[in-house]
Amino acid sequence: MNTLRYFTLIPLMVGIAAAQMPSSFDASGRSTQAQSGVSNDDPNRVGETPPPQMFGMELPLLDPSNDTMSYGGAKFDVGNNAVVRERFEKFLRQTPDDSEASRIYRKKLESILDYTQRYSKSSDKIGSKTLVKIGTGLYDMSSYPGDGEQSGTLASAIVSALDVQRANRRRDQANAELDKEIDKLITKTNTLTNRNTQKGNRSSKTSQGGGSNGGYTSHTYLIAANTSKIAEKKAKQPANEAASLASLQAAKINYQALVVWFLAQRRYDHAVIGARVYRHVFKDGDTEVKLDKNSDAYKMAFGISGLPPTINTVDALANNARREVQQSIDAVFSALAQNKLGEATNRLITAVAAGEYMQCVATFPSKDRQRIAEYWTLRKRSLTALNARDYDNVERIADEMKKLDSEFDDSLLRSYTSGKKRQSNFALRSARKALAEGNDEEFRKHVTEAAVIWPLNPNLDKGEEEIAKLDSFEPQKAEFKVLVERKEYRTIYNERERFKVVATDPELEKKYTEVLEHVARIDATLAELESFAKQDRTIGPCTAYEKLDEMKKNNELYAADKKFMNEYNRYASEAHDFVEAIRYAEDCEARGEHGSALACYYRARCFYPNSNLAKAGADRVTAIIVSAQY
Amino acid sequence: MARSSRRGRGKKTNVTPLIIGGLGLLVVLLAAMLFFKPATRSNTAAKPFNIAQYRQDGSRFASTGNRYVLEGKVENIETHGDNRMVAISMANNRNERLPLLVPGSRQLPINITRGDTFIFDVSCRTGRDASGNEVKGILVVNDVRTK
Repeated sequence: MNTLRYFTLIPLMVGIAAAQMPSSFDASGRSTQAQSGVSNDDPNRVGETPPPQMFGMELPLLDPSNDTMSYGGAKFDVGNNAVVRERFEKFLRQTPDDSEASRIYRKKLESILDYTQRYSKSSDKIGSKTLVKIGTGLYDMSSYPGDGEQSGTLASAIVSALDVQRANRRRDQANAELDKEIDKLITKTNTLTNRNTQKGNRSSKTSQGGGSNGGYTSHTYLIAANTSKIAEKKAKQPANEAASLASLQAAKINYQALVVWFLAQRRYDHAVIGARVYRHVFKDGDTEVKLDKNSDAYKMAFGISGLPPTINTVDALANNARREVQQSIDAVFSALAQNKLGEATNRLITAVAAGEYMQCVATFPSKDRQRIAEYWTLRKRSLTALNARDYDNVERIADEMKKLDSEFDDSLLRSYTSGKKRQSNFALRSARKALAEGNDEEFRKHVTEAAVIWPLNPNLDKGEEEIAKLDSFEPQKAEFKVLVERKEYRTIYNERERFKVVATDPELEKKYTEVLEHVARIDATLAELESFAKQDRTIGPCTAYEKLDEMKKNNELYAADKKFMNEYNRYASEAHDFVEAIRYAEDCEARGEHGSALACYYRARCFYPNSNLAKAGADRVTAIIVSAQY
Repeated sequence: MARSSRRGRGKKTNVTPLIIGGLGLLVVLLAAMLFFKPATRSNTAAKPFNIAQYRQDGSRFASTGNRYVLEGKVENIETHGDNRMVAISMANNRNERLPLLVPGSRQLPINITRGDTFIFDVSCRTGRDASGNEVKGILVVNDVRTK
């Protein structure tokens, strides 16, 4: 179970990274997310919702600032996975090698695998000749370019191990020879010792009889020489044994490292061959891996699986990986047969990431590669478009993907794009509302918000037109201000449609309304007075004049209106006597001629008895007259 | 010619005493007239009144002999305390209204009523208000009598 988890974890991560990388990197290797200027961590990013799940993965995952990928709450370094993605794309672009050399290579490899498998099942030991045959076959395979000299390296390792074994055997033979020589010397020494003993007995008898002891001396020297030789030979044996042991250990370590390296490099066929041959090369039954536990190769092979660090474990892992890859490829073919391109792509990514060098992957048909490449390109484009927030394009690509894979679930994608588009349009609606209210700042804020959410929103063009229109209003606004300053309200009123655009400015809008109301009030008053003046040609003009005069005195803006003044003067002319009396009265009043002033006011009332102007003047002057002392 | 000569030759008359006597009589008559002039009548007699001129510059009427006799119909009477302001229309111009001040201190022999015609003896005067400013050209009624 742990083995399976180990081998599914790597391709899973690789697959995720490969699927996600296009969304964040362009052809130059730069982050498109960075180019877009929008960071996921940007607190000002408006309207962003948590990334959705797409193709079974989270979006967006990549943080370009540190090349880490968030997935399922964890962060992964995707630097290496980007390489795998490139290799997958390269794999899709490559054509399978169906050459004669390739077929011969695959045939030889399968032959060696079968050969080693047969021997691994039997209890028979492979002899040196068989091992040499396997090594020779591997050497032959190394001539194939696709092998990458891996077979030659394994063959060399086998040969080196066999050489070490032969050297060890020679040392064993040497030790055996030494044993024999030692035995001979011991026998010889024992013989000499016995002779010395016998001669000694005889000599003692002779000496007791007055005889010589010269023969005794020569045996003693021989015994001493033999004893010395025996010691020397015995000393050589441990040295040979130590040398054999050291050589064996070194050979094992080299061999094991190579097999583990094959596993890490996903050269599972070679890892299996090496593992199967191991027990025939090293026949001592010791299969424990001697690598440093802190080494990368050791951690890679045994750090995750938790299995015992033996060559058999490597064999099992490699075999499982081969089976997994084969099953993935089978699943790819099955999915392709059902037009399930999404599933086929995912399975192929797993197969390529886990077993790129396996024959079933290397010979994956070109036609099927093209189908998956087409789907893969669409997936990349969709992610790029999604990252660029080109939601229309995302939906178009989703349609294409749906055509290629009827089971492609685009609901999440469509709901995401639809939500974003609606969000952008809502912001534009707020912008239009702000524009109608003349709030330029709010308008620009909402337009920016809409652009951030959906940069290619077609309605943004309308927003730009509104902005351009807003800018084009400036001359009219300036002209409006000048006319207001000159009190030329009538001009504004006459061209009120043209000046309507100033309503985009709240202050100007207020003034605009005020101007229109002012002029409208004048026109209404003039129309009313005109009607009244026509009814009574005597009193009417006096009434009109007095009304206009009252308005004129109360608000200087009336005097600035040409139409008003024209009518005012016309009525003044028509009510000449009355107006003259009033003006005389006012003039006399100003000069202190109160008697004359009162007489004039009285005269004015003769022409227009209901004149408020004359009455007020008369009352005012009378009050002065009656209170004075004469 | 002959008669003139004859008259001059036949009877020579001395007219000097007659001339001196006549002059003396004239002086006496003049003195008598001056002596017997009424004290209430000022040194100026009532003059005709030009309303149009008055409307333009009333104070001039006060400086060039200020007493006038006006006949007019009372159009309106306003009472302001003890004083009254009477508006009259002249006989020759009914579209004119002339304001006359009847001070409360003046005791008139008859009662002025609206719609009736009276003969007003008026003076054109210049008064002063409480601030000391001139109030020019005011026609103040001195006397009134029925027509």
